[in-house]
Amino acid sequence: MREFLRIAAATVLTVAVTVSANAADWIPPGPIKMMIAFRAGGGADTQARLIAEDLQERHGWEIIPENVTGKGGLNMANQLKGAAADGTVIGIAVTETFGYNMAAAPGAGMTPADFAGLTTTAGFQMGIVAKTDRGWASFADMVAAAEGGEQVRFGVMSPRLADLAYLLGKANNVTFNIVEVQGGRAVMDGVNAGDLDVGFMAGIQAQGVETGELVNLASALSAPLDQTPEAPTMETLGVPFNSDGQFVFVAPAGLDTTARDAIAGAIAAVVSDPETKAGGLVQRAFGGATVFSGQELDAVLQSEYEKAGELLTAASE
Amino acid sequence: MTPLEYVWSGVLAVFQGPELFSVLGVSISVTLVMIFCGFLLGIAVGATPGLAGPIAMAISLPILISVFGFTPDALLPVMGFLIGIMKGATIGGAVPAILFNTPGTPDAYMTTLDGYPMTQKGQATKALRVAHFSSVSGDTFSDIVLIMCAPFLAILVESYLDLPEKTALLILSLSFIAAAVGGSPAKGLVSAGLGLLVAYVGTGQDFYPRLTMGMPAFGQGFPLAAAILGVLIVGAVFHELAQYWRERDAERLETKLVEDASQSLSLANIRGLMPYIARSAVIGTAIGALPGIGSTLAATLGYTVGKQRYDKRRKEDEPAFGEGAPQGVAATEAANSSVSGANLIPVLSLGIPGNTAAVFLILAAESIGGFNPGPSVFKFDAERVNPELVIAFGLFTAMILANIMNWTIGGLFMRSMGIMTRVPKQILLPIVLMLTLTAIYVQETDMAAVWFTLGFGLLGYGMRVLAISPLPFVIAFILGGKIEDSARQAFAATGGDPFFLVSSPVAATFMILAVVVVFASTGRRRLAG
Repeated sequence: MREFLRIAAATVLTVAVTVSANAADWIPPGPIKMMIAFRAGGGADTQARLIAEDLQERHGWEIIPENVTGKGGLNMANQLKGAAADGTVIGIAVTETFGYNMAAAPGAGMTPADFAGLTTTAGFQMGIVAKTDRGWASFADMVAAAEGGEQVRFGVMSPRLADLAYLLGKANNVTFNIVEVQGGRAVMDGVNAGDLDVGFMAGIQAQGVETGELVNLASALSAPLDQTPEAPTMETLGVPFNSDGQFVFVAPAGLDTTARDAIAGAIAAVVSDPETKAGGLVQRAFGGATVFSGQELDAVLQSEYEKAGELLTAASE
Repeated sequence: MTPLEYVWSGVLAVFQGPELFSVLGVSISVTLVMIFCGFLLGIAVGATPGLAGPIAMAISLPILISVFGFTPDALLPVMGFLIGIMKGATIGGAVPAILFNTPGTPDAYMTTLDGYPMTQKGQATKALRVAHFSSVSGDTFSDIVLIMCAPFLAILVESYLDLPEKTALLILSLSFIAAAVGGSPAKGLVSAGLGLLVAYVGTGQDFYPRLTMGMPAFGQGFPLAAAILGVLIVGAVFHELAQYWRERDAERLETKLVEDASQSLSLANIRGLMPYIARSAVIGTAIGALPGIGSTLAATLGYTVGKQRYDKRRKEDEPAFGEGAPQGVAATEAANSSVSGANLIPVLSLGIPGNTAAVFLILAAESIGGFNPGPSVFKFDAERVNPELVIAFGLFTAMILANIMNWTIGGLFMRSMGIMTRVPKQILLPIVLMLTLTAIYVQETDMAAVWFTLGFGLLGYGMRVLAISPLPFVIAFILGGKIEDSARQAFAATGGDPFFLVSSPVAATFMILAVVVVFASTGRRRLAG
């Protein structure tokens, strides 16, 4: 996956640099509405708003950010689906919205094919994190505690992560009390306050891990965590699924290639440049930009959507 | 950071925030200016019958958010402005009560009892001075209690209450509010129940929006601002307009102000008033700390206690309570003003709003983001900075500043506000309505939100006609999501125990109290009736 991302990023950068003359000349037909599928004030929301500011500065595009929250990004996707496909409406969510969440909610009547992927901006360093005071130095310690009869409260912030937590328990022959809360910050607050014993954190734990207050027990990704490379991955823990994912910008399906390349290229350039406000934030909070776009991105979204079925089946067994 | 460093950072956040302009090289932060502007606006709206602090807070909030944006930097200027309004309105409310026998705010009704007779005796300015002094004293006392208590209460809650107990505490507060506010516990429960029902439309953890009756417009749930402003402000405007229509032929009361010599408030006067102010401040603060019980009850209690004391000690030549006794004005104003600070104790330490002003402070925090009133605010993190705690101390600083403004220039502004009572309602109310709808549109940029607001306005009007207080509705609407979340979490965390609300002694006690409060309140009313 990592290798794939690296190649993808390289390709996109090349594409961004040699973006066709057409795309460079593209001018939005009006102000661009940027729908943000995250709560106002969080790290994800800040990232989106900074990207809007940087785009405005660089290209003079007028961008109006708006928070459309709820239902794991599906509310935003639903509004975006019905919007004009002329580059005046775009949205930001996570890849999970177009993969697991759409697959889990067939009643919502949306598939990734209803959207044109623009570009991803950054991935998450998703770890399984406990407070150091809790006394667990590794994932095995936690499993041992659960085997000894302790109730382990496992904080998650989305249904997909709840499934993963359930499978982690199942693979290790223990049961976790899986508690779903609103957003990664709430998981961290819960763990810090002692309401939760352990939880998924998507990079927000970095500072706590550095000061020694928190500990990454495992990586919830296909690859080890940058900060704690020795922590086992999901696969080593016996779960063939992971929480790999990125922030992703999308537009309604049917957006013409010129507009699509222009917007995707502009966003990718802003987040990849650590000198910009958004690029700086992405560097600090998410460990650098991860950009891949165009049809490649469409393919990733589609395959995540298809793979989600397997996870749903595994978790409902 | 140490606790003291947190306090200091909060103070600095107010003074050294983004600079608006500088005077002689001293930079004046935008927060400072916002507190001052809010304070002036608060006095003006407090002094205008038909307007009140919450109305001004409601209308200015969406406009301020659209100016300052959704960044954490916006929190202190916006909330500082709201706090300024809150503080200014507490002293403004006494002006029309004293000068024209029309209370500017409902809790100033008791002020008319002695304030207006004083005016008739030619002591209008003195009455205003007494009101100002008592009001500000009560308010300052209440703020000190808030600053002392809120952090400790929050730490207590966080360290002793687990998820099931927190859920039970939320249910208890809601039940308490339903029982205590408004006409009767039954009406309070209807109001709170409606609030919960509306809060649950379109929300929840499922990917399918619930209770939408298939309408996509409900899919995201009702915007917080539309529901709150609709029921509280638009509903009140409709109700006032209907009342104005009915009473359009009634004669207007005209008062000629005649002033006689002794208008000053001497040190001896103040010494005489102090016992009344002190008692009322304690009463008001104690009542304010309980969510839902408003300043009207505090004013009534403060007045009653003051009267008992006064009747025992009154000299022959002094006027009785109700005939223009300055002590009556002092007892009322100190009591109703000391509610406002204490009311923020449950807001900041538990995230539970107790009155309308608190509702708008929570609305501000929720809309802007980056500050979630509740126990987690008061985490004195030594390793890294807890920005919410800095904001909390910034808010305390804003309150202290508003108090200082109240002490220094408040009296002067207050006494010049008599003119506001002459603003005709038939002009004022449509302006309020238009500003509210504009403000909603500015924040939501969606016509659907305006229709929702008008719909909730009709609901608010209906509730007022049936004498159902809209406050439990609004508080239930705000707490609805929180109760659901914490109940779900508690259920999951206890490993799916269906009796999680009664399986720990503390949670069980809270639940029993939640039931007892409703029945006790019914019984009390029956006895009183």
